[in-house]
Amino acid sequence: MPSKEYMNFLSVLLWKYRAKHIWVIVISSLLIACISAFFFVTSSIKKDLFLTLDAQADFVVQKYRAGKVEEIPKEWISGFREIDGIEKVNPRIYGMHFYDPSETYFMIVGLDFSQKDVVKNFEQSFPNIKINEFLAKDNMIIGQGVKELFEYYQYKDYYIFRPPNKGKQKVYFHSELPSESQIYTNDMILMDSNLAKKILGIPKNHYTDIALEMKKGADAENVKISLILSHFDMRIISKEEIKKHYENLFNYKGGVFLALYIFTLMTFLLILYQRYSNIIHADVKEIAILRVLGWKISDVIYLKLAENFIVAIFSYLLGVIMAYMYVYTLDAPLLKEIFLGFKNLNNTSSFTPSIDISSLISIFFIFVVPFMLVIILPVWKISVREPVEVMR
Amino acid sequence: MIRLQNIYKSFKGIEVLEDISLDISTGECVVLSGVSGSGKSTLLSIIGSFMKPTSGDVSVNNTDILNLNDFRLSEFRKDILGFITQSFHLFETLNVRENILPALLLSQLSQEEIYSKISELTKLVDMEHKLDTQVALLSGGEKQRCIIARTLVNNPKIILCDEPTANLDKENTLVFIEIIHALKKQGKTIVIATHDPLIKELDFVDKIIYMKDGRIE
Repeated sequence: MPSKEYMNFLSVLLWKYRAKHIWVIVISSLLIACISAFFFVTSSIKKDLFLTLDAQADFVVQKYRAGKVEEIPKEWISGFREIDGIEKVNPRIYGMHFYDPSETYFMIVGLDFSQKDVVKNFEQSFPNIKINEFLAKDNMIIGQGVKELFEYYQYKDYYIFRPPNKGKQKVYFHSELPSESQIYTNDMILMDSNLAKKILGIPKNHYTDIALEMKKGADAENVKISLILSHFDMRIISKEEIKKHYENLFNYKGGVFLALYIFTLMTFLLILYQRYSNIIHADVKEIAILRVLGWKISDVIYLKLAENFIVAIFSYLLGVIMAYMYVYTLDAPLLKEIFLGFKNLNNTSSFTPSIDISSLISIFFIFVVPFMLVIILPVWKISVREPVEVMR
Repeated sequence: MIRLQNIYKSFKGIEVLEDISLDISTGECVVLSGVSGSGKSTLLSIIGSFMKPTSGDVSVNNTDILNLNDFRLSEFRKDILGFITQSFHLFETLNVRENILPALLLSQLSQEEIYSKISELTKLVDMEHKLDTQVALLSGGEKQRCIIARTLVNNPKIILCDEPTANLDKENTLVFIEIIHALKKQGKTIVIATHDPLIKELDFVDKIIYMKDGRIE
């Protein structure tokens, strides 16, 4: 345990040679901030996304013909209900609508209010909206991004869609989707399923896909086999596959970012090593004086380790705090575009604070260990030389 | 007692010390004299274990200091030896107290003992009023006195001085001589490498060794 005087001397060295440490702290903390910000962003998105995915159906089935997705006929629904292990069968209506003025896509989702589950979910999600009033005329509930775009193009009360049959369909703005869910609902429009079918050009008694939920304890593999055997022109997407897809998407982007970070870190450490190899005169003199005063090689290295460990810890903490502020206070400008770029409307949602401790520990070791090595190696080389040779 | 036998030292094939044998008794004050490049500083460094000779033997109080491991060698430098170097071998950005502190940091002394020793030594060299002054702001003489205080703080038995008056004016040189004289009276062994004629004239100097081209004349 170092004595109080030792710690005092260490703090004096750190303070009085602060000019030497400042540039290291600035660059190190920026590097740490970059990589920590990346981990904060991915952790936050993954948390939100997987929480949402957990609430989704276990399977989604789509009809395929010649490699293209087709609408599913209503007759399939009763067939799925008979499969052992299936609890709920929810036919869904959705599709993209191209909005020419801004060259962006909206996601139109049709809600079938004849389904009890849909009504229940709707009432839970929008307690202030009365279904009867909502269905009284052609209404829609719009996401924050859609709302902003419509306002920009002066659509105050309604918007006129142009369905594939070349007609016109006026739909009124009823209300908006909550901003808390903006990360997924930014470009979303909710409406009655019959209205959505009309706008998207989906024939009557057909659906875009069908979401299936399993009974508790049912074996997913068995259910999947039963589904495969029920229709051969069908694609089955499991919740786990969607999760994997998103994980791969983030891992791909994260991998590129991590590679860039490691490359930058290596460059910085190389510069640092070069600097300490051509160790400045004051440092050389300091080591030589300590050796003349009877300090062992290990004492000198211990002092330098302690000095630079404090610099490394300070840089690390500063970097992590900067990253936290950047992501959760400033909403990660620039980085947000990289990770939420798949949304075609500008997303103004905020990231939900989420800290992945294991990632932060990894960053600590990836940074601190090489940092200490590149500094201690030249110090050791100087310490083992004869003090008089060094002093001259 | 310091004993050197058949010391040779060469740098990149050039002999700087040739066949030096020398005995310095405990309590003696010895001056190594000679022009620059005569090898006196190199010899002093070898005596102080700060440099190893190419060949030969060096013993201090019957201990072969050339074969000590880093731990024993550092203990020897800390407890037995005091090395008064030239005035620029200080931490320029630190103050006087902080310059003396490293010499005591590895000791087992308490905080009070450490600061009492620093105070005592700075008083001895008349630097007590400059304890909190940054070394860079001190004059050459004050820096030299700071080094002396740092050297004496561990009460060494052997004191080596390398050109101690090289950067001092006459007044400060006299102060240095007074300090050295006091140390000699305390029974310390003192070895001074210098080409300052004033040092050679001192009546308390027991032996003057003249060096030329790496040999004792």
